[in-house]
Amino acid sequence: MSLNREDVKTLANLARLKLSDEELTIAEKELDNILAYVDRLSSVKTTDVEPLTVPAKSDGWREDVVFSCDEVTREFILSNFPVRRGDLLKTPGVFEHPKGGR
Amino acid sequence: MKRLNELTIAEAHRMFNRGDISSVDVTQACLDEIHSLDGSLHAFLDTYAEDALMSAKQADIRRERGDINGQLDGIPIALKDNLLHQGKTVTAGSKILSGYVSVTDATVVRKLKEQGVVILGRTNMDEFAMGSSTERSVYGPTRHPRDPDRVPGGSSGGSAVATAANFCLASLGSDTGGSIRQPASFCGVVGFKPTYGRVSRSGLIAMASSFDQIGPLTRSVEDAAIIFEAIQGQDPLDQTTSDHMLFHPAWRDDLNGVRIGLPRQAWEGGMSNGVRKTVSTAVEVMESAGATVVEINLPYTDEALAAYYILMSCEVSANLARFDGMRYGLRLEDLPLFETYAQTRAEGFGAEVKRRILLGTYALSQGYYDAYYLQAKKVQTLIRHAYETALRDVDVLLMPTTPTTAFKIGEKTVDPLAMYLEDIFTVGANVTGLPAVSVPCGFFEGLPVGMHLIGRPFGEAELLAFARVYEEKAL
Repeated sequence: MSLNREDVKTLANLARLKLSDEELTIAEKELDNILAYVDRLSSVKTTDVEPLTVPAKSDGWREDVVFSCDEVTREFILSNFPVRRGDLLKTPGVFEHPKGGR
Repeated sequence: MKRLNELTIAEAHRMFNRGDISSVDVTQACLDEIHSLDGSLHAFLDTYAEDALMSAKQADIRRERGDINGQLDGIPIALKDNLLHQGKTVTAGSKILSGYVSVTDATVVRKLKEQGVVILGRTNMDEFAMGSSTERSVYGPTRHPRDPDRVPGGSSGGSAVATAANFCLASLGSDTGGSIRQPASFCGVVGFKPTYGRVSRSGLIAMASSFDQIGPLTRSVEDAAIIFEAIQGQDPLDQTTSDHMLFHPAWRDDLNGVRIGLPRQAWEGGMSNGVRKTVSTAVEVMESAGATVVEINLPYTDEALAAYYILMSCEVSANLARFDGMRYGLRLEDLPLFETYAQTRAEGFGAEVKRRILLGTYALSQGYYDAYYLQAKKVQTLIRHAYETALRDVDVLLMPTTPTTAFKIGEKTVDPLAMYLEDIFTVGANVTGLPAVSVPCGFFEGLPVGMHLIGRPFGEAELLAFARVYEEKAL
């Protein structure tokens, strides 16, 4: 499988990564090399083989109860906000084209 | 006579008990060593001298009162920079988390604190644990303690150097494809990855969640067991932790009746003659301790690495989606929403992280999912069967930890695939979830060589017992 420049651009877009022209050129070449290596998987016979789903036996069940965090933890969470107003987190507008817009 | 910072955990504990030394003495010795040598090695991103001496003092007071927690009480250790430690900066070696403060303690950190451990600082690593050389930290590379022109391995390179250079008595790392064992091998210390599900990943900054496992880097197998015993166990905060019976050391005097398997595919593959010779000598030591050594068939060595790079990249692309510049970490301001995401991530992530996000995004995208992700998951089943079959015939698998000794700084950064091939012997244990340990087994041209042992699921007690017999016979 081989990737062209447009494919890499689409992937970067999907992954929300703005890549420079130079980065796109490098990524195209390097991803091709890696894909050439991993392509050996396609020649492994996997008819009737189930995909591995659980890496280890575990018991993931627990009570579905709410537990809150203490005041210290809460303050650390708030202090990590990139932009904070009081206890509120400021973010860019989520709806870039509000109703009635374009 | 060893200096205090050169002691093992077990030795320091015995000396504490005899009243020969105090935790403050040992902690100060570590801090002094860091102060005089870490300027050139760069194992630590941060040290907490004041806090460390305070915890050491408290451990000493507890001991005077006869109120001792256990073997780890008062022992100075280092944490990899991807483990949450409340109130301290944690960055995973990345710019996108520069200045981020841990909101809570990782489960392993909480458990170690409860045992009275003294935390000296956080250690350097490849960004988000993606790398095998610690050159991919945005905060600059860590250097090999025996040759400053060489890498210490990675991604837990800072932790490996901190333990090897006697900056601490032991350290914690994380292992997704070999990130504890490979740097341990390069630096000449013990590196241990427990069975997947043994140790809670809560508070470990995730790379590839189905492979990530936390483990110790130590100066002896006994020390690895001491730390592992303290951090293991089921945790409501990590639903992949197992309810399997807990690990407890079960040491042995010899290897009588033990069958060691040498996987033909690994030994026939590319490795340096020096590594082959040194590990072969270690195999002879195990034979003379009573083990039976047989060659075995273990297919899919190359396929394991390929499957790993697909599955890991897929999980990376999903796990790192959380770094969007919204709630924490870096955010570029005054941009529309899409550009805020895309430019923040472009600015905050390094080249290797971007490469793996792109690869994972590709392998999960419509039209390619079956060919890559699903096929890799099926191959993973075959690999696990192959290991299970092999481990029915033998008690443990043995091969070198890495194909070569520590390489030169800059030697592999230009060729990502060459760096990935560093993991060829270690990824199998991650793809199958099996426990594995790298034990120092000698030197080639002045650089340490590691012997890699892979055990049965949850069979850490016998795996570490085999490793310790070797360690003692090799002395």
